[in-house]
Amino acid sequence: MPKVDSLGQFEQLVMTAVLTLGDDAYGVTIHAKVSELSRPKAVSLGAVYVTLDRLEDKGLISSWLSDPTPERGGRAKRCYRIEALGERALRESAATAKRIWDGIAEVWGKEWAKRWAKEWAKER
Amino acid sequence: MAFLVPPACREHVVGDLHERYTTRGQYIAEAVCTIPLVVASRIRRTTDPQVLLMEAFALYISFLGVAWKLDGTSFLYEQWGYVRLAIPAAVALATLKLEDAYANPGKRSPLTPILQSTFSFSIVCLFEAALLAIDPRWAVPLRIMLYGGAIGIVLVSTLRMLFPPVDSRPRNAT
Repeated sequence: MPKVDSLGQFEQLVMTAVLTLGDDAYGVTIHAKVSELSRPKAVSLGAVYVTLDRLEDKGLISSWLSDPTPERGGRAKRCYRIEALGERALRESAATAKRIWDGIAEVWGKEWAKRWAKEWAKER
Repeated sequence: MAFLVPPACREHVVGDLHERYTTRGQYIAEAVCTIPLVVASRIRRTTDPQVLLMEAFALYISFLGVAWKLDGTSFLYEQWGYVRLAIPAAVALATLKLEDAYANPGKRSPLTPILQSTFSFSIVCLFEAALLAIDPRWAVPLRIMLYGGAIGIVLVSTLRMLFPPVDSRPRNAT
């Protein structure tokens, strides 16, 4: 099995966006989703392209051009999807995030974790 | 704005910018923030660090060898020669990288390496002419420029024929 590179935080956000968008994952929608995930931090469209290129070079995602559409000035979309290697990398990142969360909750207490989860849900 | 985006990613980048269009100002501001990053990403994708080092070495050595042969040590030691010779080499390398970024991957001919090297040398000549007008102390003497440039074109063209830009990496889908 090939070794998976660990993902940076922004890469995790982009990968999550591609995963959740499914068949509708292309530049504009990925940028919108990443902006939503990284709130309140603003994200530039260029940074999303750079990260998508890097993830594609690592073999974590793949892309293809769709048919041109009139609302895009007759230009095609580049659609993305997660590859098996990407799924593995994202799963490892999620497991690490879970371990971090458990570690923090252990030190700061279960009450804090519950309160924080409630606040987070309200914010969403 | 479309011509500023490298052809390899023009289709989807310009389409995305068009889809997000709200006002002319927003469009220009977004394009100004996006295009440099797209070009940088394209440069990264087309650059092999080892080949880049070889090209830098070949360019510098061609100017250095000619300066050594024509002017001996007087130019190199007494007139900041080592530093001055690095300027045309750096400009040529930067031009070559931009040419790679803006090259159309579907339209690569066997003559491309020679044309790219010759074009980058033309840019170096223009840059040196501008430098001569602004501050002649940093310009390289004309004969060193011409002979060094000619040798540089041959060396870089050969390197580019042997190691084409990294643009044909295996992809899962296109």
